[in-house]
Amino acid sequence: MIEVMFGSLAGLLTNPQTIGLMLIAVMIGLIVGATPGIGGRLSIALAIPFIYGMDMTQGAVFLLTMHAVNGTSGQVSSIMFGVPGDGDDAATTIDGYPMAKKGEAGRALGASITASGVGGIIGAVVFAVMIPVLEPVVLAFSPAEFFLLAVLGITFIAFLAGKGQIFKGIIVGLFGMMLATVGMDPQTGTARFSGDYLFLWDGISTITAVLAVFAIPEMIALATRGGSIAMQGTGDVRVSYKQLFQGVLEVPRHWWLALRTSIIGAVIGMVPGLGGSAAAWLCYGHAVQSSKTPERFGHGAVEGVIAPETASNAKEGGSLLPTLFFGIPGSSGMAVMMGAFLILGIQPGPAMMTDNLGLVWTLIWALVVGNLIAVTFLLFITRWVALLTFVNVAMLVPFILTLVMVGVYSSEGQWENLLVLLAISVVGWGLLKYDWPRAPFVIGLVLGKIAEESLHKALGLWGMSFFWRPLSLVLIALIAATIAYAVYSSVKGKSGTPVGAGS
Amino acid sequence: MTEHVFKGIFAAALLAAPGAAYAQADKAFFNGKSVTYIVATAPGGGYDTYGRLVAEYMQKYLPGSTFVVRNMPGAGHLVGTNALYASKPDGLTLGTFNTGLIYTQLAKHSGVKFDLTKMSWIGKAATDPRAVIIAAQSPIKSWPDLTKMKDPQNFATSGPGGANFVETLALTAILKLPIKMLPGYNGTDDQLAMRRGEIVGSIGSRSSFEQFVANGYGRFVGQFGGTRKDLPQMSQYVKGNAEAERLVRLITAQGDIARLTAGPPGVPAPQLAGLRDAYRQAMEDKDMQARADKLGLPVEPLFGEDVAKAVSEALNQSPEVVNLLVEGFSKGK
Repeated sequence: MIEVMFGSLAGLLTNPQTIGLMLIAVMIGLIVGATPGIGGRLSIALAIPFIYGMDMTQGAVFLLTMHAVNGTSGQVSSIMFGVPGDGDDAATTIDGYPMAKKGEAGRALGASITASGVGGIIGAVVFAVMIPVLEPVVLAFSPAEFFLLAVLGITFIAFLAGKGQIFKGIIVGLFGMMLATVGMDPQTGTARFSGDYLFLWDGISTITAVLAVFAIPEMIALATRGGSIAMQGTGDVRVSYKQLFQGVLEVPRHWWLALRTSIIGAVIGMVPGLGGSAAAWLCYGHAVQSSKTPERFGHGAVEGVIAPETASNAKEGGSLLPTLFFGIPGSSGMAVMMGAFLILGIQPGPAMMTDNLGLVWTLIWALVVGNLIAVTFLLFITRWVALLTFVNVAMLVPFILTLVMVGVYSSEGQWENLLVLLAISVVGWGLLKYDWPRAPFVIGLVLGKIAEESLHKALGLWGMSFFWRPLSLVLIALIAATIAYAVYSSVKGKSGTPVGAGS
Repeated sequence: MTEHVFKGIFAAALLAAPGAAYAQADKAFFNGKSVTYIVATAPGGGYDTYGRLVAEYMQKYLPGSTFVVRNMPGAGHLVGTNALYASKPDGLTLGTFNTGLIYTQLAKHSGVKFDLTKMSWIGKAATDPRAVIIAAQSPIKSWPDLTKMKDPQNFATSGPGGANFVETLALTAILKLPIKMLPGYNGTDDQLAMRRGEIVGSIGSRSSFEQFVANGYGRFVGQFGGTRKDLPQMSQYVKGNAEAERLVRLITAQGDIARLTAGPPGVPAPQLAGLRDAYRQAMEDKDMQARADKLGLPVEPLFGEDVAKAVSEALNQSPEVVNLLVEGFSKGK
């Protein structure tokens, strides 16, 4: 075992051609990840013609590296401009963008890029450790558990809303859940709230809603305010390596949080069916809920950047497990990846463990090395990229708005999504202007859909008795504890602070 | 040689509508033109892979043309198919979509803005028979075992209107099967659910479960049509029940006409003949066959009029079946 493990690493590192391919894959992955609306799935689909004739190992390493670093670069625009690249980057925006506004873009980027790398590497470790227990762990999660996990995530809204804003948080969360019901009813096949407009039948596109609630309102605010994104950075207009390095050090300072969120992310990634954004949001919620000073979140808390970024990269390692060892892809991206594996002559399934262990270890190492290359490269160029936050917004806003609209269109290729963008932006702008929390909206939208679908299935399968499954009971206890803690801290907070301290 | 000429004349006679002149395949028309090939799903996945392959090799046999693949996903292939149907019939827009839309059209679904019988059929690339699959841990070893079960067995299906939802619903109703349907299992959710044991079986395309069965997680107990003879045919289990026989034929047609290519109604005969020619040459291209083989994509083509005929036959159903489909699409409304 040990021999195979390190033999694979040596094989990976001593082959200049493989290293060259990995460098190319990292660059493509980062570029695709930085463009809103283009997901990892598309990049794999488009790369397939190039892997014909590639050696089995090299082809797999190329695709996996490209896919693994995809989530690493989306954070750059999330932090600097408040423009998330996809649903999980939106969690990074909540604290990353306020940091940039305070002139701390360098610190935020340093922390988030390092967190991504650390998450990716811990994800690979979890992958390796989990191989023997993969089967019982993955099969323990049924629709009953999906439903309760989604509910647990939704209860985090209580913490995300901020002090004294719990009702506003619930209202915004419910609005998100309401939008999640638009589209084809998964149970009855009735088109809900969509009339004859076919583009609504698949539901509100998450990326459109996220950009409408986060990116567009921030751009309006910027344009009306003028100046540059970084308001308080006048004293130190250069983004120094020092600031960046301070950010990097934030990750070891919060090592316990980074470790927990990486593991949670990897496990959620392993279990097919929960979807990518759930990992980042559950971990963001967890960071807020476990913090001693939750009121700092939303105003530039560095933990709020670390948690979702570790989770979203860690889940990539996890999501590979069911694809490789069951031959059952956990996401649409992995389904495309599995097709590519078949072309390369890799036959995913339980036999991988015995017949192809060398390849499995090579892939695990590719995850580690790919993440290291991506982090080093990003940290190196970030100093210049972060300077953009000091550019006059009159030059920046039109450019970003164009990027947002192209992203919204290209994510599904439907122009009607631009109208959805416009409509939800109005709501998003209202939320920003009147200082209502926006994070609960995404939680409601992302988790509301999972909750609905899995509740239907669980009730159909077991009736009300699904609550008595052992893992269900654990999750119910967690939900109860979360609610109790929220009530307790809100009561305590009220009696502790002077009357009138509303926000 | 004479045989070829004879075949050509025969085909032309079939093609020519009464009074219309014999159409010479006009390939020169495509020289310097750009052809849009609509794929009614997002990139990645079977339709996209077949679509890109077909487009690439049709381009090869239409000298000077440029094929551009355009993905138009949404509403279970309806968005892309409606767009294809409404496109200008000049031979410069083609596309591919799910054969399951035969069910959707039969059910007179409100999202359907097309009539499959009127489309300009170019060909189909594969046969992907539907099959009944049972999880490995279930005691059910064969189709008769399933019909004799005392308790209802959990069958996973997609959302209402999806192909396997309609098939499971109609089979269960006509044969009074002990099946409880659980909708909402999309993609490979059903495979994982069978591994967990919450789901006993499902109806799906054989190709999508081949790997699952090879890994020992499940078994096929019956197949609807198809060229391989290693599984019992479902038609043998429904002998004597006229209504069930018709239904099995409909489900069989669904698998026989897989990975199709069509244009909007009214493509001028010379262009259509050119496209059909290029499609045939693409399917017979050794290079293309090798590529498809490597991708694990079976190629069992059928061309032009034959596909049109098969589609029309599949759409010609008894009122009983139509009523069942209408019910299948409107459940819960």
